Amino acid sequence: MALFPLTSNFEGDFVLQLVAVDTENTMDEVAAAAAVHSVGRRVRARPDCIMRIRRQGATDFLPRAMKVHESGLKPTETIEIIWEPVRH
Amino acid sequence: MAVLNRMDWYDLARTTNWTPSYVTEDELFPPKLSGDFGLPQNAWEKYDEPYKQTYPEYVKVQRDKDAGAYSVKAALERSRIFENADPGWKSVMKAHYGAIARGEYAAASAEARMMRFSKAPGMRNMSTLGCLDEIRHGQMQLYFPHEHVAKDRQMDWAFKAYDTNEWAMIAARHFFDDIMMTRDAISVSIMLTFSFETGFTNMQFLGLAADAAEAGDHTFANLISSIQTDESRHAQIGGPALKVLIENGQKAEAQKRVDIAVWGAWKLFSVLTGPIMDYYTPLEHRKQSFKEFMEEWIVAQFERALTDMGLDLPWYWDIFLKDIAQTHHGMHLGSYFWRPTLWWNPAAGVTPDERAWLEAKYPGWNDTWGQCWDVFIDNVVDGNMAMTYPETLPYVCNMCQLPILGTPGKGWNVKDYPLEYNGRLYHFGSEVDRWVFEQEPERYAGHLSIVDRFLAGMIQPMDLGGALQYMNIAPGEIGDDAHNYAWAEVYRALRAAKKAG
Ligand SMILES: [Fe+2]
Ligand SMILES: [Fe+2]
Repeated sequence: MALFPLTSNFEGDFVLQLVAVDTENTMDEVAAAAAVHSVGRRVRARPDCIMRIRRQGATDFLPRAMKVHESGLKPTETIEIIWEPVRH
Repeated sequence: MAVLNRMDWYDLARTTNWTPSYVTEDELFPPKLSGDFGLPQNAWEKYDEPYKQTYPEYVKVQRDKDAGAYSVKAALERSRIFENADPGWKSVMKAHYGAIARGEYAAASAEARMMRFSKAPGMRNMSTLGCLDEIRHGQMQLYFPHEHVAKDRQMDWAFKAYDTNEWAMIAARHFFDDIMMTRDAISVSIMLTFSFETGFTNMQFLGLAADAAEAGDHTFANLISSIQTDESRHAQIGGPALKVLIENGQKAEAQKRVDIAVWGAWKLFSVLTGPIMDYYTPLEHRKQSFKEFMEEWIVAQFERALTDMGLDLPWYWDIFLKDIAQTHHGMHLGSYFWRPTLWWNPAAGVTPDERAWLEAKYPGWNDTWGQCWDVFIDNVVDGNMAMTYPETLPYVCNMCQLPILGTPGKGWNVKDYPLEYNGRLYHFGSEVDRWVFEQEPERYAGHLSIVDRFLAGMIQPMDLGGALQYMNIAPGEIGDDAHNYAWAEVYRALRAAKKAG
């Protein structure tokens, strides 16, 4: 349990933002924490999608249940939060 | 008594180098301050300033300039221009005075460094006048806003801004510290006068003088043009120094200094001048878009200045030409969204008519920047004001100290340019900002951006209140929408009409 700063690059938004998470947070929780600062402020919510996390430049997403301390992310590293369509 | 013509004695009077015998040349001109680039005194004696003016001529001309600007101010003091001005225009004045006035005063010390330490006698002459210019600019741009301080607390920032940790002022100080306060005499002549003044102050001063006249603010228009006539003279200090360097095999060093300074200047103008031209200025007063102005006054002129000099275009010129249509839209959205951290009240500039203008000038605006503004406007119309403010910090660049941003919406291309150096992770807003850092990492590595300071616990409490306190923004100075959101009425009406229809 420790505070962990990340840099959020949210799909569709225009600016990187500081987002504070916890080392115990999962990637889904990280995405939700980042969304607080973008969705409904400058980015429209997309009910047809879930939000996935990837390292900048990566194509693969980090597993949704992966915790921050397991991810190898460095403090203040930039993560991309990407809308992924939900399959029905 | 007959007086000799200036050119009959100027060259002789300027021959003020001598061979020191009590001290060494390096003691007389310490290389760190003189920036000798390994060149002896006599190489610098070939420096030939294109604009020659003697001290008596200077005093006479400056006296007339001062008399002109001050008498216009005195004549219009009771005209209530300030009280009746469009709020967007007041914001232009506040932003300009805060960001510029004390920087001008600091520039006097950079000019003084050239005056004392340059090995080029001609440069010492010109920068003596340049130093007096900058003292004049500092004094005028503090005196002129002073009459408004009693009417509007934000005007106090004309004096106060440089003493604060307001984020835009951290950016301004970082840039000016780099190009003029901590460089040798020759580098100052290249970075401050040739790159910043020739390249960019035209932008702020010619552009603003025209805007001021349009807005009916003749006091400000006169002040600004009066200053610009000085700038266009002392901006020519750097050119002949570049010539000396190129002739003596130092082109690469010269080019590097130009490239660094031009990029920093561009970033500063993208946040200061871009929003003013494309968003704050009332639609009916807009002559050119920021991009058109940049292309006509900066790009074309500066390309010519560089090639005339025998220099190359900066290696990042393609990036720059792309950015002049993009970066300032983000700087506007960012400074507007974080508006409590400004010492002026930004105008949104996004009514349907203004958006049509933006779309015409920047095809695709509605699908990109417009998408962010759509969400913002809905919140204002719904009265959901909490969501129109931020709850965290934007991540800022470790070079320009401005938010790291890109194009949003359908053109989403936002990207971080990270670099790990000595175990610390730095973040940059562009390849160019990172390149500048890499040229001389130790010069920049110790600086803490506002985000670094926040993470280091230097901003307490860690919320908006703490941030405003850290930035020295007092109650009554906190920025908010220039028109108190009156522009949103048209959207409210549109929505009502849609419902009814
Ligand atoms: Fe000046
Ligand atoms: Fe100047």
